[in-house]
Order: sequence, then structure tokens, then C-alpha cells
Amino acid sequence: MAALVALVQIDAAKSGKPSIIAIAVTSTAVFAQSAVAQTGNVARGIGQTLGDAPHLIDDNARLRARTIVLQRENDRMRESLAQAPELRAIAAASANEPGSIEAMTIGFDPENVSRTIVIDRGTTAGVKRDDGVINAEGVVGRVIDATPATSTVLLVSDGASKVPAVVQRGRWWGIATGTNGRVRMQYVSQDAKLKIGDVVVTGAGRSFRAGLKIGTIAKIVHPEGALYQNALVEPAVAFGRISRVLVVPH
Amino acid sequence: MIARDRNVKLDSDGVARTRAFWLANKPGESAAPAFTPDAPLWWIVALALVVALLVQVSYAPMLAIRGATVSFVTLLVAWYGVRTDVARGLAFGMIAGACLDAIGGGTGAAWTLSTGLAGALAGRLARTWLADTKLALVPGVGVLTLVRYAAFAIVIAAQGHPLALPSVHIHAALVQSALDAGVAYLALLLVPALGGVPAYRR
Repeated sequence: MAALVALVQIDAAKSGKPSIIAIAVTSTAVFAQSAVAQTGNVARGIGQTLGDAPHLIDDNARLRARTIVLQRENDRMRESLAQAPELRAIAAASANEPGSIEAMTIGFDPENVSRTIVIDRGTTAGVKRDDGVINAEGVVGRVIDATPATSTVLLVSDGASKVPAVVQRGRWWGIATGTNGRVRMQYVSQDAKLKIGDVVVTGAGRSFRAGLKIGTIAKIVHPEGALYQNALVEPAVAFGRISRVLVVPH
Repeated sequence: MIARDRNVKLDSDGVARTRAFWLANKPGESAAPAFTPDAPLWWIVALALVVALLVQVSYAPMLAIRGATVSFVTLLVAWYGVRTDVARGLAFGMIAGACLDAIGGGTGAAWTLSTGLAGALAGRLARTWLADTKLALVPGVGVLTLVRYAAFAIVIAAQGHPLALPSVHIHAALVQSALDAGVAYLALLLVPALGGVPAYRR
């Protein structure tokens, strides 16, 4: 047996190739070596983990805190990004209205009896009764009540609101009255050739200069036998999401 | 010793009235008690008023259904009135209404007077059988809302600013009264203690 092994090994050595015995032994040993090595690695890993456990708890707590900070920062940046277009628009509108006072909406009519909003600027900031209020989209309303710190603005969509209005395309005059939701342009001459989509702007009046957008005509009504025609106007301003406005002193 | 006993209370004349006295003197009898025993704590009422006003001012358009919102202030005033009496209902109603006038702006004293009236009417129900059952309380709240809205419209017209589009407001008032009654029903269903101790068991 020993002679046979010796012959195989010598023959393999002469040919320069691994012997069958060497191949068989190494092939078997590789599994055992791998298993032992892996066990050792796992054991080292466990030992290291146990050794590092106190640090890991601290690291985890620190990383969690950091995640919260980053999340908040992310939320702030998202909010800034979301506000950016409105801020840009209001800044542009402000540049067109020298002397205007920027304000924020802080409340609504508590009982929804009238379409009003409350803004965070009052007489201290120079707001007066009957001042016009606009935003980047168009006409919002006019100030009906001003206290030192806040003012109440009657929206153009309120039934009590009346604003002189002009159809931009043909310069036909009328009165924009609220319907507690939309705006109706009343007292437009019957010979006015109104079209759906015509832009309605303010005429010069007590609260507004001429040319501020009120909305676009959504429906035209010709009452039977009436001297005037009416038009239902879709307001340019989304009254449900007004946040920043400009008070334009009259 | 008397003051320490929770079952014994003193009225304005200093006369001790025990729980047994309450049980013996049911509403409608000649010796009706002179005070209401289960008025809510003032700080709870004040806190509830602040919360109601904040919700109403901040979220009114979001809460609107067909142009009308639930009036949490009316519900609160009705609750307090029913748990106290005419005088305190009137006083609390006027305070709540004054807050509405101050916050809303442009309404003068319309909410002050109309909400005060609602409080007084609710107080009138206190210690009557009407205050003891949801069947009467819930429609009562609806009626109270309508009366309050009508009083508001009258006062604001008297101040020289009548409500524009009256038909829209009548519709809104009806919707609001239904909403208030619905919320009152839900509140009494979920928290029966809001109704207080029924008069017959006081």
C-alpha cells in the first residue's frame, strides 16, 4: 500500500501534475477548512458584536436622532419649496403695487355666514377700511373692518360685495356681485358680445385701480325682456386656499 | 361639618339642601330647589370655548357642507345653558357671541345678542323634562340654531347691514340646524354624561 502511494506520488511529481491522492485530500479538506474558517469568523463576529454592544446602542440612538433632525430639515425644505412659487408671485405682485402691505390669512368667518377672511395686518401696519386686497391670481376682496392687529376682508364672492368691473376684450362695463361662491357680473349692456372665457377685470373704483383680474366668464345669461344681461364669472382666486395677500391702500 | 359633606349644599339663604331633599322635590312641585347642582366647571367651559372658537375660525370653510358649518359655539352654549339656568346661559352665550363678533369682525354685536338669546333659551330648558331626554334635546338644539340665526339676521339688519341673498342664508340656516342637531345627537350618544344628571334623579 505504501509502495503504491509512493509510486503514485513519484509519478505525479515527475509529470508535474497534482497526484490523485493530493486532489482527493485537498478536495475533501476544502469543505472542512471552509467550515472551520467560517465558524471562526462567526465567533469573531459575535465576540466583536458583544464587545461593541454598548457603543452600538449609543450609535443607534445618535443615528435615530440624526434621522429625525434630517427628516425635519427635509420637511422644512419641502415646505419652502412648495411656498416658493407663491412667494415669488406675491413678490412680483407687490412690485407692481407700490405701497402695498403684505399680509397672511389667519382665519375665516367662524360661522361661514359671510365670505370673509381675517388677515394679520391692521391699522398699525397702515391698513384702512375699504382698502383693496389682492393676491398674485387676482382680486381677493376689500377690507371691511380694521383693528390695530388684524383686518377683516370681505371676499368678492360674498353676496354683499359689489365691485365695478369691465370685460377686458370689449370694455363693456358691469358690476361684479358675489353669489356666496362665485361672482356674477350684472348690468352688462344687452348689445355687449360676451363670450365664455372673456376675462373680467376691475374698473377704477374706491378700493381698486383699473385692470386687476376678477375672473373669467363661465356662463352668460340673457334674462327675458331685461335691459341688461348677466354673466357668471369663475373667480381667478381660489378662495379656499388663500394664504398670502397684498393690501392695496386706496 | 355641613360644608364638608358633598351631599349637602347651601343655597343663597344659607339653607342646607340635601340629596334627599332633591329626590323629594321633583320638578313642578311647589318647593322646587333654587339652584342647579351640576353646572360644568368654569375652566372646562372656558377651555371648550377656546377650542370651539379656534376650530371654527381656522377650519370653517373646510368644514362647510352646502355653505353651512357645524356651530360648535352654539352647541357649547346650548350644553352650558341646559346644565345651568337662564341667567348663566344668557351670560355665557353673550361672552361666546362677543368672542365671535371680535374674531369674525364686521358683525357688530349681532353674534353677542343672538348667541346670548340662544344661551338664555337653553337655560330655560334646564331642570325641565326637556333637558332629560335626547329625543327633546336634539331637536331642541336644531331649533335653537335656527332661532340664533334668525336673531343674528334681525340684529345685523338693525345695524344697517342686512344679509345679502336671504334665500341662501335661509338654506344655510336649515342645513346648520340639521348639522348641529346631528352633532348633538352623536355627542350625547358617545358621551351620555354630557347631558348631566337627569332632573328626576338629582
